[in-house]
Amino acid sequence: MIARRQFLRAFSGSFAGLALTDLMAKDGILSGQHHHPPRAKRVVQLFMAGAASHVDTFDHKPLLNEKDGQPWDPGEEVELFQSTPGACFASPWSFQPYGESGKMLSEIVAPLGDVVDQLAFVHNMVGKTGVHSQGTLLQTTGFNFPGFPSAGSWISYALGSESDNLPSFVVLPDHRGLASNGAKNWSTAFLPAEHQGTIIRPTRDEPIADLYPPESEFITKASDEAGLAALKKLNLDHARKRSGDDRLAARVRSYELAAAMQLSATDALDVSSEPQSIQNMYGLAPEGPAVDDSTINEKAESEFFGRKCLVARRLLERGVRFVQVWSGNDNGFPRRNWDSHGDVKRDHAPLALGMARGASALIKDLSQRGMLDDTIILWTTEFGRMPCSQGSKGRDHNPFVFTNWLCGGGFKGGIYGESDHWGYKPLDRGRQTQVYDIHATILHLLGIDHTKLSVRNNGIDRRLTDVHGRVIHEMIA
Amino acid sequence: MKNHSALPILLLLLTCGVSHAEGGSFEAEVASIFQRRCLSCHNDDEPKGDLSLSLPSTLAESGFVDSDDVDSSYLLELITPNDGKAEMPKDAEPLSSHEIEVVREWIASGAEWTEARRLEPPVVTDRDWWSLQPIVSPSTKENEQSRPPRGEEHPVDWFIDAKLAEKGIRPVGQADPITLIRRLTLDLTGLPPSPAEVDAFVRAFRDDAEVAWSTAVDRLLHSTAFGEKWAQHWLDAARYAETHGYDKDKPRNNAWPYRDYVIRSFNSDKPYSRFVQEQVAGDILFPGDPDGILGLGFLAAGPWDFIGHWEVGESKLDGRIAKHLDRDEMVSAVFNVFMSTTVQCAQCHHHKFDPIRMEDYYRLHAVFAAVDRADRVYRGLPPEQQQRRDSVLANINRLKREQESLTTQINRKVAAKTSGIDRQIAKLKETYGTGLSPEPQYGYHSEISKVRDETKWVQLDLGKPRMAEEVRIIPAYDQFNNIGAGFGFPTRYRVQVSNDAEFQSNVRLLFDGTKNDQPNPKSGTVLVSGDGKTFRFLRVTATKLGERRNDYIFALGEIEVTSEGGAENFARGAQVTAKDSIELGVRWGRTNLVDGIYFRELSDPSALTELRELEAKRAAIEKAVRPPGIDERLDEIHQELDRLNQELDGFPAGSLVYAAATHFPRGGRFTATEGKPRPIHLLHRGDLRSPGDWMTPGAPPLWDEAPAEFAALRTEASGNRFLAEQPLASSSNPQEDSRPTFDWDEGEARAELARYLTRPDNPLVWRSIVNRLWLWTFGAPLVGTPNDFGRGGVKPTHPELLDYLAATLRDDPDGSLKSIIRLLVTSQAYRRSSEIDPHLSKLDSENAWLWRANRRRLTAEEFRDSLLASAGVLNREGGGKSFQDFVIEKPEHSPHYEYHLHDPADAKTHRRSIYRFVVRSQPQPLLTTLDCADPSISVPRRDESTTALQALAAWNSRLVEFAASELGKRMEDESNSPDHQVYFACRLVLSRPATPLEQAILREHLDRHGPRSLARVLFNMNAFLYVD
Repeated sequence: MIARRQFLRAFSGSFAGLALTDLMAKDGILSGQHHHPPRAKRVVQLFMAGAASHVDTFDHKPLLNEKDGQPWDPGEEVELFQSTPGACFASPWSFQPYGESGKMLSEIVAPLGDVVDQLAFVHNMVGKTGVHSQGTLLQTTGFNFPGFPSAGSWISYALGSESDNLPSFVVLPDHRGLASNGAKNWSTAFLPAEHQGTIIRPTRDEPIADLYPPESEFITKASDEAGLAALKKLNLDHARKRSGDDRLAARVRSYELAAAMQLSATDALDVSSEPQSIQNMYGLAPEGPAVDDSTINEKAESEFFGRKCLVARRLLERGVRFVQVWSGNDNGFPRRNWDSHGDVKRDHAPLALGMARGASALIKDLSQRGMLDDTIILWTTEFGRMPCSQGSKGRDHNPFVFTNWLCGGGFKGGIYGESDHWGYKPLDRGRQTQVYDIHATILHLLGIDHTKLSVRNNGIDRRLTDVHGRVIHEMIA
Repeated sequence: MKNHSALPILLLLLTCGVSHAEGGSFEAEVASIFQRRCLSCHNDDEPKGDLSLSLPSTLAESGFVDSDDVDSSYLLELITPNDGKAEMPKDAEPLSSHEIEVVREWIASGAEWTEARRLEPPVVTDRDWWSLQPIVSPSTKENEQSRPPRGEEHPVDWFIDAKLAEKGIRPVGQADPITLIRRLTLDLTGLPPSPAEVDAFVRAFRDDAEVAWSTAVDRLLHSTAFGEKWAQHWLDAARYAETHGYDKDKPRNNAWPYRDYVIRSFNSDKPYSRFVQEQVAGDILFPGDPDGILGLGFLAAGPWDFIGHWEVGESKLDGRIAKHLDRDEMVSAVFNVFMSTTVQCAQCHHHKFDPIRMEDYYRLHAVFAAVDRADRVYRGLPPEQQQRRDSVLANINRLKREQESLTTQINRKVAAKTSGIDRQIAKLKETYGTGLSPEPQYGYHSEISKVRDETKWVQLDLGKPRMAEEVRIIPAYDQFNNIGAGFGFPTRYRVQVSNDAEFQSNVRLLFDGTKNDQPNPKSGTVLVSGDGKTFRFLRVTATKLGERRNDYIFALGEIEVTSEGGAENFARGAQVTAKDSIELGVRWGRTNLVDGIYFRELSDPSALTELRELEAKRAAIEKAVRPPGIDERLDEIHQELDRLNQELDGFPAGSLVYAAATHFPRGGRFTATEGKPRPIHLLHRGDLRSPGDWMTPGAPPLWDEAPAEFAALRTEASGNRFLAEQPLASSSNPQEDSRPTFDWDEGEARAELARYLTRPDNPLVWRSIVNRLWLWTFGAPLVGTPNDFGRGGVKPTHPELLDYLAATLRDDPDGSLKSIIRLLVTSQAYRRSSEIDPHLSKLDSENAWLWRANRRRLTAEEFRDSLLASAGVLNREGGGKSFQDFVIEKPEHSPHYEYHLHDPADAKTHRRSIYRFVVRSQPQPLLTTLDCADPSISVPRRDESTTALQALAAWNSRLVEFAASELGKRMEDESNSPDHQVYFACRLVLSRPATPLEQAILREHLDRHGPRSLARVLFNMNAFLYVD
């Protein structure tokens, strides 16, 4: 099906389809007409760029301790991304049971122990390839090559925004650089532009591009206000003389919304108004974003990830539909991501502890505000890491199995899908979970049938879940 | 479109020739279920899990169904969902309960099947669709009715008016001359008309509107700005950018010649068929013509997975997947852009709507089986030299492949025998490791040499003559990619001292290791005693360089010159010079040689001794397992490579373009095919792990006379067999024993495709381009889906007009696009007012029948170019390397393209936007907000959104601030009279004077806030942003 609005807007000369509310993606294509009653309203995607190791965090493998240092033989030929398989490599960290479920967690994600019973783990995720760019795109867009809308764009397109003056899809990148594929991970591709992820950098002077006037010799508060007032008169007059063209009035309105966004974004990003106890819970550092990061360390990683989680909560409260939070940048130097080829211990400990503290705080905070019931949290990464060593301290890519977890928004805690005893492939090779299934289930909880949310592009009715995906009903509370 | 969804099944039943009544009561329904849900994985060609449903009568035999005990049938068990999830269909929604019931009842009734009824995966075969019909040519007699009368009415208007009359719509009148000249100038050149051009046109228009119009049209079509504007349209569709995209997103520094080629082709009005041919097979069809190679930039313009090709390579499945996706991208681009056909839909199954079989799609893969994306020479290298150079490259590539395979072979053998020692070594390092991770300040690194025997030196100036007890030379330790200790340490070298900086006199030799090869000390330190005399300068000269992967360097971590007793290090902070040096970020730099920072591996001296012993043991094992003769062979390869590399350097460099290529130097694991096609299989479900038949080059037979097979196979004698790539799943190699040589002339295959595309009887190619030309002039196309003329797309609003234009272009011996554009813009339809009549708007709100002109917003590039033009700073320099409106940080690994660090006042960046360096991963924020094309996909048509972020960008962006500032200065220079300043600025920005109301508002703002603030307001006016 070609969505009616999509069809109309395809004609640049047409105005009937363009409602003023398009400006902020206020209305989604399914607004008020969900496919079925929704359980959740909004989504947070926590993305660990570089590929987080499942066997060092959430997927405990005692066999690796037993066989540590011995040759690794999974009984089949293994083709790795960078290296030839080394010996079995026990996780450098100890695991302990948490919660009533007694779920084993590594000490580097211990802060999530408090909420572990609420987490729905999927330990049999499989990817397509062990290439970062492809794996990342697959998890963000459902396709392992560029040209497809991000899950956030699809959800914004379907449901619109709940906010009058904030974008419906917000991206909080790692301030040290964008992950593989950069903006492709939140691009709209063939969906309308207003569903593009808007980058917010809470710690920059200008958190949203062009949010405030630039430094200028002639722009003053007075000239700025007078200019906008004059502009409004001019543009209204222009529109009046060209009746029947909604776009012209919409553009007048866009300046008012821009002004409203200046205020509400500033307010949403003002973390200092949070009580100290909340700031502490999220792991914010006393020195703030300027915390020393010259060698990778837990304190800094907690500050970086925790601040993004706190900002995410404030955005969600204000009606943002989808927030994408990134941990880790590209493979620059020195390493500040999860791609621990050389040294799992050095990179994973601070990154994971920072992540776990922030994520745990976000879950507790949403819960105490009564928002966890209708907010989905998805923890993901492009793929996992190998049970064998690369060199003596690192792990190579493992696209054959990795972990996702989900929380809130109708998900039920527990374990859904397990990996084999090595953490190498799914335990039951006939049953594996793919990103399509995760996306299908998330859409389902948002009241969307993943097979019906489609847009025709270049001859194909495109879906977030391609031609795949099944709703994992047993994960739903 | 909804009515088409039932089509494939319907057609299928027809193809099968079996009517519903013929089979058992459920047979037709069961057939439909199997075909839709099962057959793509379970057919005779690909019986997954040893199950084929091609002939369902075999199900009972194979034990999948049991009619006597229906509910224990394995098939039912597989498809019955448990908790919402069934085993089959795999990874998909389960069958509906109705469907399961149908299958159940069919089994219960005996699972009978009409023997003749073989099931095939659904396929569309008919060409009963408008775009596949022959183009109705107006020149034939029988088409007289559908042809505009000669010489009376404008042919375009004849068609448009007929439709309007049919719909009972009377179009609105003509636009005023100022609106017209602004519209025409922006549409044809992407720039606003200058006030003088407006004045001249308005004067001429009063004399004779028609003459004035056609004069203006000709003037603009002949301006260089025309090509600069229209190339942007083409580049949008051609998914052009200047970085690879994907991970790392490295720059393509030689992509721009293709952009210049497109501009030039539009400006010179190159015949369209030639334009198409050059972009698919120009190198073969027009040898010796640079445009033949430049055009191939089209094939290479899209994204490219650097990691998948360069780091992983085709020896691994991930690398072959990358290559497959890459070819799919090329094939799709060719068919989407030239043919408006979505051939890529046939990757996993036959096309659901259009007559394109999977075989057709994979035959297109075969056409491009030998090409990659790489830099190639388009000018400055004569053909015979080019040939010679290609053969040198081929030899280099062959030797490097051999070298790699030998090394890998050894490494695997060694690793198998040394894992115990490796473990001990790791333990030692863990226990006694200094805990210091190597700091990034590695040391000194020379430039890279292709030959081993080049002499390089590095030299310390101690500031004044010093008496040294010892010189300590510490090898570099490169943490990057696990290279480790001893990186770049020279094989032969000497240490000299002198008091003469030039080392011409008084040179003393402290150590001479140039006579034979020296061991690499790895993490040890080389100690050289002083000679008891003072010296100011110390020089280390490498005469045989350290080896990197396939080239040579000279690197050292640290040099210390100690005083007697070792209390002082004279070298610390010394001035360092070198024959050459790479200064790269924090890692490498001359000063790092004397910064006191180097890697101390172990803290305990005896542990270090033990480590050395283990390493020696390991080296001995390594030596023992090396097959005899292998070192000699590797040495030969080295020498031969040295020689060939030198020969390669002897060729003129030539001018390079990033294009489709078959010959290029190997880089990483990215290897040229040298023209030998990679083996292409049909891939079941598009999966490389499920290869089917071998494919030969061809294309979908979309019209009767279309050639479907492109190239003859070479015979065994003359042909080469395959590259190393083999069928991917050992289980499935259909023709292992009797396989012919699947080798063909790849150039000829591409040439055939180029001919196929440009044949006069091709019904798609001509319609496709004239529809685009219509879109690019009228702002909305005749066919709403310019990249898809199939059943998934939209039908034309004016099919006769489309055919008239298509036939006119096709039959024009000059193949002139400009002639068509001239025809379009000289119509009355193009010149209508954009005013919206509320009554007509009710009848046709989309303006499908063209009763008015389409008002449009400036494109992102037009906005930027108009700002700069009005500000008086637009630099009209054309062609050449792209300007960059960002700062690149961290270029050595994953470049960060930082737009916010760019200074908008930088005059180098004030060129037209077409000359902008287009980055994929980090697109230009301002232009992206204004809906510029996403270069990762073919964009046939820009979106035109209105968002709050756009308002922020237009109001607050630093570029607008800069342009406003410049225009403000221009206003002050122009006049002291505020009224005249307003008049002057409005004419520049809006191409017209202000209306009285505008004048009053603008004048008031000018008086209070000055001309620059006024300019900022003007640049945000709808009257500027929209083209009436």
